[in-house]
Amino acid sequence: MEGEIRLEELTKRFDDVVAVDSIDLDMPPGEFFTMLGPSGCGKTTTLRMIAGFEQPTSGKILLDGTDVARVPPHKRSVNTVFQNYALFPHLDVAANVAFGLKYHRVTKEERRRKVRGILHLVQLDGFEERKPAQLSGGQQQRVALARALVLTPRVLLLDEPLGALDARLRKDLQLELKAIQKDIGITFVFVTHDQEEALTMSDRMAVMNHGHVEQAGSPREVYEEPRTSFVAGFLGVSNLLDAEAAPDSGACSLKIGERTFRAEQGATQTRGAAKAMIRPERIELEPHDAPGDNRLPGLVERAVFLGGSHEVHLRILGGELLRATVANNGRPPGVELREGQAVTLYLPASALRVLEPSQDEPDSAAAAAERPERTAPSM
Amino acid sequence: MGSRWTWRFLALPGVAWLGVFFLVAFYAVLCVAFGNQDTLSQPVPFWNPLDWNVGYVLDVLSNFRHGGQFLTVSIRTLEFVAIAMALSLAIGYPVAYFAARHSGRWKGLVLVLLIVPFWINYLMRMLAWINLLSANGWGTRILHDLGIEQLFIWTGLLSTRGGWLDGQPSAVIIAFVYGYVPFLILPLFAALDRIDQRHIEAARDLGASPFSAFLRVTLPLSVPGILAGCVLVALPMFGDYYTPDLVSASTKTTLIGNQIDQFTRQGSEKVTGAVLTMLLALVLLLLMFYYLRTTRRAAQEAGA
Amino acid sequence: MSWLRNPWGKPRVLAVVTGLYILWSIVPVAIAVLFAFNNGRSRTTWQGFSVRWFTGATGSVFHDPELQGALKHTLILAVICVGLAVPLGVALALGLQRWRGPGGGTINTVMLLPLVTPEIVMGVALLLLFLRVFPNIGLGTPAQAIGQVTFTLSYVVVIVRGRLTSIGREYEEAAADLGAPPRDQLLRVVLPLLAPAIIAGAAVAFALSIDDFVVTQYLSSDASTTTVSMLLYASARGAPTPALNAIATVALLITLATLALAFVVYRRFASGKEAAQVAALEV
Repeated sequence: MEGEIRLEELTKRFDDVVAVDSIDLDMPPGEFFTMLGPSGCGKTTTLRMIAGFEQPTSGKILLDGTDVARVPPHKRSVNTVFQNYALFPHLDVAANVAFGLKYHRVTKEERRRKVRGILHLVQLDGFEERKPAQLSGGQQQRVALARALVLTPRVLLLDEPLGALDARLRKDLQLELKAIQKDIGITFVFVTHDQEEALTMSDRMAVMNHGHVEQAGSPREVYEEPRTSFVAGFLGVSNLLDAEAAPDSGACSLKIGERTFRAEQGATQTRGAAKAMIRPERIELEPHDAPGDNRLPGLVERAVFLGGSHEVHLRILGGELLRATVANNGRPPGVELREGQAVTLYLPASALRVLEPSQDEPDSAAAAAERPERTAPSM
Repeated sequence: MGSRWTWRFLALPGVAWLGVFFLVAFYAVLCVAFGNQDTLSQPVPFWNPLDWNVGYVLDVLSNFRHGGQFLTVSIRTLEFVAIAMALSLAIGYPVAYFAARHSGRWKGLVLVLLIVPFWINYLMRMLAWINLLSANGWGTRILHDLGIEQLFIWTGLLSTRGGWLDGQPSAVIIAFVYGYVPFLILPLFAALDRIDQRHIEAARDLGASPFSAFLRVTLPLSVPGILAGCVLVALPMFGDYYTPDLVSASTKTTLIGNQIDQFTRQGSEKVTGAVLTMLLALVLLLLMFYYLRTTRRAAQEAGA
Repeated sequence: MSWLRNPWGKPRVLAVVTGLYILWSIVPVAIAVLFAFNNGRSRTTWQGFSVRWFTGATGSVFHDPELQGALKHTLILAVICVGLAVPLGVALALGLQRWRGPGGGTINTVMLLPLVTPEIVMGVALLLLFLRVFPNIGLGTPAQAIGQVTFTLSYVVVIVRGRLTSIGREYEEAAADLGAPPRDQLLRVVLPLLAPAIIAGAAVAFALSIDDFVVTQYLSSDASTTTVSMLLYASARGAPTPALNAIATVALLITLATLALAFVVYRRFASGKEAAQVAALEV
């Protein structure tokens, strides 16, 4: 099957700034692949190099085995959906969509048929004569999509295409895009800074930071088995704690503050300074002074009602702030979620993860204590 | 995208044109100024800088040093330009200020009315004045009836009744103002328009009176615009020869532009004309580069 | 009169000043235009309405050979000027905007210099150029045309570049992405989007050419290379008939009509603010 992209030691330097630092990535054919990261991490630059708008400083871009790094963009069978759509204002929708067909040997009749077909696929039947200025944001995005897809590229690149749309429209279009991709079967390479979007839509994803790939894998892997504290923090609330690690018969023994915990996940062979991570939904709350391993006392500082669950802010040990998610029907007996309530936090060894340090130390729980509340990472 | 040479290739004809018809033309001025003249008083340019003859340049410079006609004319030009500039500012600033800040819903119309004179042939505008100020012109009659003519005679700005167009420095200066004020108003307008209203509101909020707010906020912020406008107007004014010719035609108002015109186009001694042109250009070069630098920076700051 | 004491505005005095200025600025020209329609030979005494100075049998713009010649020559020069300045200017603007590597800044500065060079300096320089460097071309119509192109070129470049900057690179990239080679990117996408600026540039070049005086005069050879501006200059202090007013009015109308057209076109396809900036020639 076609449409596989492999990046080998791809580097891009602008004067003395290294935007993309020798990355290796594998984008299997026919999959929805996402590059996720904060702004400035190099994801857009990488996408532009795949498209051909930037020339790599060094490295290879292999499209189905052929290195296309030096091939000009108009000769690559790769098409892009731009962030601002870039619909030609002086042409109507049909002319926009048919623009690239001029370079594919098709008859006028075939061209009309293809345009109609693709407009049907993106649910814009009848829009042929409209001008881009007369379309809404969502409609423009679909025309941009149609314009690229009608050329049946091997790979479709999407540069934060949903960024300019409001929240509800975004959600709808996310599902539509995913459905289209599954339907057509072309490889989609999607760039975004929104982790929820990435988790929702991708078959595989790569988390990038400061020009390199922190981790690549399926959404589940990246979320539940983050390799670095950056990845852990970027994809959700991560509850990081500083710890002293030592391998301990297959698992890891973490000394956090005065207590020792057992962690079975992550880089269990680490020795020395490390970070411990647990997802909020895996923290279990028990009544004050409950016995057992991997437990520590804490104080409920706040309990935020989120509808289906509570987000509980807990202060522990040396003043760090942890966040736990407690589903409303999973309320532990004997534990009241009100301010000032003393509880015990149970961090199961199977959920406690040891992380390698990453280039950019993001918020540990201590730092989170200083900061005002946020639920998702911002841009 | 596309090799760098594709785009350079596109620029080539324009660059070549400017190179030949602009840069070489200037070089020709230098070569004539540092050249010689033949027995028919025609210039003989010396193309090789190593051959340059400083004779004529030194002649002109010594004329300056010894208070000769060039010095007199240059000083007169400076005076005229300075006075005209001051008057233009006095008239132009309030108009620009009004147009930028107080014209409200008339802004578009006012702007059009300010732009129109900009595009009317300069000579036609002068012609209009000549019509009005000629012996029986409406302007002459009105000025006489309103007593303004008398005022001008008293203050020595006019030497004979109705003789507006007979070699009067005041007429030249006023013509300058009339001719160049539109060129000053537009950059002033742009600068004043760009000032954020909120700065002024903040000053008022802190207790400043309207006049004080103007003096301490608006005026300082508009200074770059004032300078840019003045430079933009000064450059052509320094070289203007046709305005004195049209409105005065007398040696009493000969300006440096007239001198250059006499020596070059009217043919008496092109070498000297070239020398004067070169000197004028050198003096104005500083102004030219200053203007280019400041307008580009202002455009960048405004987010062009 | 509460708004007179209103702390937020003192526009009345300024409004009056502005009004007076506008009148002072335009009325003299309006009067000159008025006298173009004077029935008699006077340019200062109104003798009734007539179009004799435009279309009359003798001494009118359309029948006097001198006047007609000047008008014709003016228009010929204007057309040649636009015909050369616009293609050169558009190409130069594109090349400069996309210039990569050293030299771009210098060329940009050189391109901007004619905009700030005093006319007499340009006139003398070009005169010497055509006397001593290109004596085979010499003075006359070709020289006048070349001289005019040399300074209008920069205006075209500035106008086109302004529009290029606001268009940005996205459309070209999109075109390339869809398979268009660089030539098609230019022809199918960039040039159509540049059209309003090109038209505005052409209009400005046309108007500047018609109104030009110094360079045109310096490079003229004989009576056959007289333009309307030169005629105005030569005759103004004499005892001309209102035919002079008439020919000036004709030139004025042509200029204003061209510019109004360009402004309208620009507004239709680009923003009004951009159009205003072009009209005010904000370099």
